[in-house]
Amino acid sequence: MLRTIKPKNARSKRVLQAREPKEVEDPRTAIFVKGTHSGEKVTGVMKELMALKRPNAISFSKKNAVRPFEDASSLEFWAQKNDASLFVVGQTTKKRPDGMVLVRMYDNRVLDMCELGVENWVSMNELKTPKATPGHKPLMHFASELFDTHPRFIQLKSMLMDFFSGEVLDSICLAGLEHVISVSLAPTPASMNSTADNLQGSASKASEGAESSLPKVHVRAYTIRLLASGTRTPRVELTPMGPSLDLVLRRNTEPDPEILKQAMKRPKLRKQDVEKGLGKKRKNIEVDEMGDVRGRIHVAKQDLGRLQTRKMKGLKGGQEESDDSDDESGDEEAAQSRRRKRRKGE
Amino acid sequence: MDVSEILAAHVAKQKLITVEKDIPLEIDAGFLTVTDLNPGDAESYDESLEEYLLSTARDGVQALVSSLFALPITSSADGPLARLPSPTTQLPRAKPLPKPKPLTKWEKFAKAKGIQKQRKDKKVWDEEKQEWVDRWGWKGANKREETQWLSEVPANADADYDPAKIARGARKEKMAKNERQHQQNLVRAQAANMNSSTSDRFEHKKGIDRTLATARTSTASMGRFDRTLDGEKRLKGLKRKFSAAEVSATAEKSQNLAILKNLDREPIMKKAKSSKEAGGDVLNIRKAIRSYECEDEKGEKMIFISVVLA
Repeated sequence: MLRTIKPKNARSKRVLQAREPKEVEDPRTAIFVKGTHSGEKVTGVMKELMALKRPNAISFSKKNAVRPFEDASSLEFWAQKNDASLFVVGQTTKKRPDGMVLVRMYDNRVLDMCELGVENWVSMNELKTPKATPGHKPLMHFASELFDTHPRFIQLKSMLMDFFSGEVLDSICLAGLEHVISVSLAPTPASMNSTADNLQGSASKASEGAESSLPKVHVRAYTIRLLASGTRTPRVELTPMGPSLDLVLRRNTEPDPEILKQAMKRPKLRKQDVEKGLGKKRKNIEVDEMGDVRGRIHVAKQDLGRLQTRKMKGLKGGQEESDDSDDESGDEEAAQSRRRKRRKGE
Repeated sequence: MDVSEILAAHVAKQKLITVEKDIPLEIDAGFLTVTDLNPGDAESYDESLEEYLLSTARDGVQALVSSLFALPITSSADGPLARLPSPTTQLPRAKPLPKPKPLTKWEKFAKAKGIQKQRKDKKVWDEEKQEWVDRWGWKGANKREETQWLSEVPANADADYDPAKIARGARKEKMAKNERQHQQNLVRAQAANMNSSTSDRFEHKKGIDRTLATARTSTASMGRFDRTLDGEKRLKGLKRKFSAAEVSATAEKSQNLAILKNLDREPIMKKAKSSKEAGGDVLNIRKAIRSYECEDEKGEKMIFISVVLA
């Protein structure tokens, strides 16, 4: 446990206040951790995922001996230290090659985990196509009926949504819709269709056989082009942007029902608060009686020393003159001494 | 005039931007998410994976973009802004809900009494300077009495009477009182917050120590000849104090009166209990009635009590 810090100045106080629980939460910050051995593939994938997650992403450059499924205490410590609530832990072993563990936290404790194995991947750089601006909100697309029925895929969908677009927005700029992250599953195998009735049982078993029978997950990122269609709604064209990942589901842990119940609690927002920016504190913005939004801005103190006033010959600094040439400066000195003499005479 | 051509053109345009699926797509505009629950097409999946993924994604995104463009739109400097509805998907929170702040003693009282908070302006008009000055702080209006060049002095004042000093003392006293109340509020909030047994035990232990110290100093020898237990610490700074054998008559009288007064008083513990019973910690109804009795006549008193009971 970290000790509780009492802020000693206004800045650290503000930082700690920003970390306090809010009614409407900020987007989750993700930490990318490399395990003891994370192969080239997983390192590359994590780098690309981080590029998509930016600016809410922190990279741990060193190797860490973490095994999230066995001991999550380090993750809990890092979550508290960095104010992060998502982890991507890359680890490759002989038994589970090229694995990535997605960990979601609640109140600095592990809520649930899901291990994904990377089978194939194509980097962003290999596809010579336009890329999305970092920091723009992606659209999300999920395609398969299993996202509604199978507990493993319901969990995966929830985690990926939390990862890429977990933030509640009140409005979005339509011109800023640049890319989509599409998560599709391979067609559902017949074995799963037949056992659709006892899905719960097969999932809880979590045996190796059941995991291998789960369909592959294809994650693709596309850039969106909005073309004029003659109506108000544009026609959409997609271009592959990368990264393209083919993943398989491996181990997972379900959230503890008691903790999940707490995590699912919704705040009671008043209508007025919703209109005023969803319970978030908005500083220096107010609506006046006429209904106009008024903002106050802080203007830093003006440096009057640099102010360019009227240029006059007499106010010119001595340095500039000495730069011209030596004999001229000599003349100047002579002229000045003459002036002084004249003044004395007066 | 033949409208069929125009209609056909319109239908053709609509066709480009509408998506037909067996199971309609689930759109969560709040999270910019679309879910396609149609079962995948195994043939085209095996044939060419990338094309299949691209086409399903395009259909889904087209439906999502159509729904986004149908939202109420406001214009801004960066382009059109679509007002998003609240999301339908429930995602777990990252942190627990914020706890409501405990009310201060005054806030509790004001709430019980229905006193509304009135915001004071930070600046007040200074007639002398003919400008707005801060109510407090640097060159604040609350320091006027300390800084004014002329002040009233009472007729019976001492030779070293300094009005500025007295005004400053009063101001500092006010600040100290405020700080004291603030600290008390913090303690009260913490006590309300802490349900953990550790703090209770700590407080209990401290109380025992205090009682023990009182008991030890209650003998005439101040516990000097008491038996001590192992590990018991000696109390420091204890000295017997004798009052003078001979005191003036007035001093003796006042001492005895003080004792008598204490005997007459209700014990502290009992008082606290009775006041709690009387109606919450905010308003002491017994006290209120007593003060009312003093002010008014009998008839009105009866009316007031009946109101309280009702």
